[in-house]
Amino acid sequence: MNLFLTSWYVLMAASFLMLLSARVKKICGYLFLSSLIFSCLTGLVSAIHVLCFNTPEVFRPHWQFPFGEFYIGIDALSAFFLLLFFVLMLAAGIYGYGYLRDYAGKRSLGAHYCLYHWLSASIMLTLVAKNAVLFLIGWELMTVSAYFLITFYDEKESVRKAGYIYLIATHTGTFCLLAMFLLMGSRAGSMNFDQMMAVPFSPSLVVVLFILALIGFGVKAGFIPLHIWLPHAHPAAPSHISALLSGAVIKIGIYGLIRFILIVKHFPLGCGILLLVIGAVSGVGGVLYALGQHEIKKLLAYHSIENIGIITLGLGMGMMGQAFNQDTVAFIGYAGALLHVFNHAVFKGLLFLSAGSVIRTTHTGEIDHMGGLLKMLPWTGYLFLVGSLSICGLPFFNGFISEWLVYQALLGGVFHFDIHGIIFSCLGVASLALIGGLAAYCFAKAFGAIFLGKNRSKEDCHYKESSFVLCGPMVGLAVICAWIGLFPSMMVSFSLQAAQAIMGITVPLGMEETILDPLLKVTSVLWIAVFIFAILFILKKSLLKTRPVRETETWSCGYAMPSSRMQYTASSFAAPVLRIFRTLLVFQIKTPKPKKHFPAETSLSSSVLDASEYLFFRPILYLIKKLSRKLNWIQSGHTQRYLLYIFFFLLTLLIWKLH
Amino acid sequence: MAQKILAIISLWLHLTFILVSSPFLLGVIGKTKAFFAGKWGPPLFQPYYDIAKLLRKGCVYSTTTTWIFRAAPMIALAAVLVSGFLVPMGGFNAPAQFWGDVILFVYLFALARFFIILAALDTGSSFEGIGASREATFSCLSEVALFLNFTALALISKNLSITGLVGGGVSLPWQIIGPALTLVVISFFLILLCENSRIPVDDPATHLELTMIHEVMVLDHSGVDLAYILYGGAVKLFVLGSFLMAILIPFKTQNIFMDTGIFCSGMTGLAVAIGVIESVMARLRLNRVPYFLISAVIFAVFALIITLVRGGH
Amino acid sequence: MEAWLDMTLVLVVLLGLFMIGSNRLGAIIQIFGLQSVVLGTIPFLMYFSKIEIHIVIVSLVAMVLKGFLMPYFLFWAIRHVSIRREVSPLIGFGSTLFLSGFLIAGSFILSSRLIFPYPVMSDFIIPASFSTIMMGFLLLISRAKAITQVVGYLVMENGIFLFALLLLEKTPLLVEMGILLDVFVGALVMGIVVNHISDHFEHTDTSHLTVLRD
Repeated sequence: MNLFLTSWYVLMAASFLMLLSARVKKICGYLFLSSLIFSCLTGLVSAIHVLCFNTPEVFRPHWQFPFGEFYIGIDALSAFFLLLFFVLMLAAGIYGYGYLRDYAGKRSLGAHYCLYHWLSASIMLTLVAKNAVLFLIGWELMTVSAYFLITFYDEKESVRKAGYIYLIATHTGTFCLLAMFLLMGSRAGSMNFDQMMAVPFSPSLVVVLFILALIGFGVKAGFIPLHIWLPHAHPAAPSHISALLSGAVIKIGIYGLIRFILIVKHFPLGCGILLLVIGAVSGVGGVLYALGQHEIKKLLAYHSIENIGIITLGLGMGMMGQAFNQDTVAFIGYAGALLHVFNHAVFKGLLFLSAGSVIRTTHTGEIDHMGGLLKMLPWTGYLFLVGSLSICGLPFFNGFISEWLVYQALLGGVFHFDIHGIIFSCLGVASLALIGGLAAYCFAKAFGAIFLGKNRSKEDCHYKESSFVLCGPMVGLAVICAWIGLFPSMMVSFSLQAAQAIMGITVPLGMEETILDPLLKVTSVLWIAVFIFAILFILKKSLLKTRPVRETETWSCGYAMPSSRMQYTASSFAAPVLRIFRTLLVFQIKTPKPKKHFPAETSLSSSVLDASEYLFFRPILYLIKKLSRKLNWIQSGHTQRYLLYIFFFLLTLLIWKLH
Repeated sequence: MAQKILAIISLWLHLTFILVSSPFLLGVIGKTKAFFAGKWGPPLFQPYYDIAKLLRKGCVYSTTTTWIFRAAPMIALAAVLVSGFLVPMGGFNAPAQFWGDVILFVYLFALARFFIILAALDTGSSFEGIGASREATFSCLSEVALFLNFTALALISKNLSITGLVGGGVSLPWQIIGPALTLVVISFFLILLCENSRIPVDDPATHLELTMIHEVMVLDHSGVDLAYILYGGAVKLFVLGSFLMAILIPFKTQNIFMDTGIFCSGMTGLAVAIGVIESVMARLRLNRVPYFLISAVIFAVFALIITLVRGGH
Repeated sequence: MEAWLDMTLVLVVLLGLFMIGSNRLGAIIQIFGLQSVVLGTIPFLMYFSKIEIHIVIVSLVAMVLKGFLMPYFLFWAIRHVSIRREVSPLIGFGSTLFLSGFLIAGSFILSSRLIFPYPVMSDFIIPASFSTIMMGFLLLISRAKAITQVVGYLVMENGIFLFALLLLEKTPLLVEMGILLDVFVGALVMGIVVNHISDHFEHTDTSHLTVLRD
């Protein structure tokens, strides 16, 4: 605990010092880096300590307030989230230092660094809070500081708009959370989580609370159809902030949901099923929308929604397992979800950082304007490839391990549940399979269009690879991806620890081995694959030793003048699958009708609109706007009239109270 | 120690069996097609000659390509070969079998496909882009169907390793759950046709790049790379086919040679069936291929429903 | 025998699926004929041990009428009015296929709720008949051509026939025959209507009949 507190204090102290020293850029930057590295490392040690020895720690400053006491504690669940947060924060912070160096002098980097620390500190506070009010304070601080970080490029109209959408959406969620915690607090008589855990909630209240939690935390986490802020906010923010948003901030929504599940404990089966269905919808919807996007960070933002879907599938299986009293299924479901939370933070962080490195060199985010960057940006390119392989859940990398666990939970449900459970588990299997296939499709598209082939906008362009400060954090994240993919035991056991904290019971003896055993066999099979690859490689080398190897143009089927503009674009690559799913998406292809014979010019554009934004929220907001215009006469502009309102209001209150 | 050596020996035997016998299926398919066309056709061992010839040739690489283009054939072949370790083949038990190896099975194919697609995009040729896009589209759907089939089989056999899924020596209950198994077999056969780019999904023999799927993706590969890709295709057909055989041949004689003999004749039968289909059917119009795969999905769903009704739940 | 009965019932449903998935009028009609023939064999499989003349007549008449006469007649209609040989779907093929998958699942769930007073030979008969009826409906709803409308009705009739087979011992022959006759006459009338539509509008797309409303 002391280590954790030290790390927190250092962050806070450094943030104020950086504000003071904002004028002296050098000192400010070094202060940022040193405080970041120090507090991350101490924080990591404290989190790993809790996970290794499974000893929850509590810190009580005896700070009483009405209906509760402010105090914090790290249990296995908090520690697990802290672990992933510190890893990501370290990588994104160092990257951000390098990323923003160009802006030194043009913008107040001191404020940015200070807010970065504030965001980190508030996330840490949220993760360890043992009291609903403290939790909400941390939550709000996180929301607000993230808002300022997102609107870094505030001279752009779109960025300001994205910031507003983010702020409004998350506050709608906070409103639900407030209602939820008040309901729980009034039932328990205290706002402390421990007291809340002790009281039983009536089943109907549980359902109400669950819906409120789903909306409140779901807005932050990005469940479809509440996800609309994500695809706006991620592209607007600087890349390291996008990484932090996608890797950590939306995960706090998941953390809140899990904490809520932990507190209420007994849910009817319907809640688990609802969560599973939300997971399936978010997963498939997220990846389909991602396929329709051709702006790299928007694409990655939709992929965050997809991965939240996978995580939610795992959580849903956990809850259903608990409802059916199948502890093994529940354990695997929760553990899979948690491991995917960690993995997603790592590979999505990696992807956002490398996307940032691409955007920084090419000054565009449009995939269709890129191409052939692998030769100029080899580090960024191969690191992006590692991230893609991980996010697609392909073997050798970490995404595979967590998706495996989620599959294992789903198939366990197929074996152990009753008929309704089986039907929904099968639905989960089908949607996860579809998600896997489509994610691979989408990243083949993204990687292919950005890094392979030839550059689509300029025939001869020369870009320089990003510096060591940018590549270093990415390499670190990529190493973690491969490490978990090939040696999964440690992280799996950590996530089981955290799952144990959720379920409130200890892992049955020998279960860890039964979960780990197939995973270890998988890795041994993968080593054989590596061995065979090596044999094939040596065979090829030796065969080609005496044979001619030539280099020439790509074969273009006899066409004499191929140009790089003729390459398949990302939009056309994605079109067939979008066409198949056009009933689920708003997929539009616009092309003007030719006006005369032999039309000289024509155009074609395709776009995928977000159904929940365009068909759900916009009409509703339009209606609200229209209705509020009707009430415009209330706001007349005369001070006297406003005073009259106040008078009436006071009078009403008086009458109501005296009645 | 002795056990470990035995395991390694069985691994090598399995690998050799796959490597030796997989191109034969392509030869049988070719012969059947030639028979229907009233021709004598190339010899049965033509695919072996092709691969041997290609292995002896040099390579031509496009200047656009990167390391990915050169590595993709090796990765694909390695992944597909390893996936063969999970499937029992007649008398040869699967050298690697564990809970949930079906997931690995599917993902190994996905890995192979991912790299072949990337290699196609690496060339920067618009034709290869078309092929890659189509391949990716169809494989998304076939993956769903594949997983649903596995789920249905898992419900029937209460097991989740491929060996156990197809009975693990104990024959599957064809009597009670025959319709479901038939549907699984049909659905799996449709997937097999699609994954191996056979008619009616893709025509391996067309000569117009615009209409091709798999063949157009490998236009730029040559020499050793092309040999690896051809070999990979043959192995993929063999592995998926042997899975199908394991469901279709629901008994074991406990005699290794007998079992292997039955298995081999079954595989030859499968190749003949594919050849017949290729001879009597035209390929589907491209925009109808998704419906072909959706029907594979629906067959699998139907099989699941039947299993649920009959499975005693 | 029951295993064969199950297989045949599954085949009936699959043929329904094929009808929904195919985009050629000719193919739909042929598959319909095949489905009717397969249906005709079901009474033999169901009442394997106690075949009566009553059963033989019903199944033979159904087989000949719907398996051969009706397709022949429909083909004649196609040739005669030179309809374009392609189905024009109002709802896409993929969506209708998925929908029919859900309908199959739904009919299994529905029939598990339905308690039948007599012992049933196979627990697939009722779901199969439900799903055939529903797929007939789907054909009616989602396809524009008049010929597909006729086929949709006929497929629905096939589903009803399958259900009626359960009551074969309880219903008099006359009722069966009456239903078959009704369907035949209905199809005949539709054929004539199709003819007239094509005379007046030069196509047989029923969606153009909307101009006839008030």
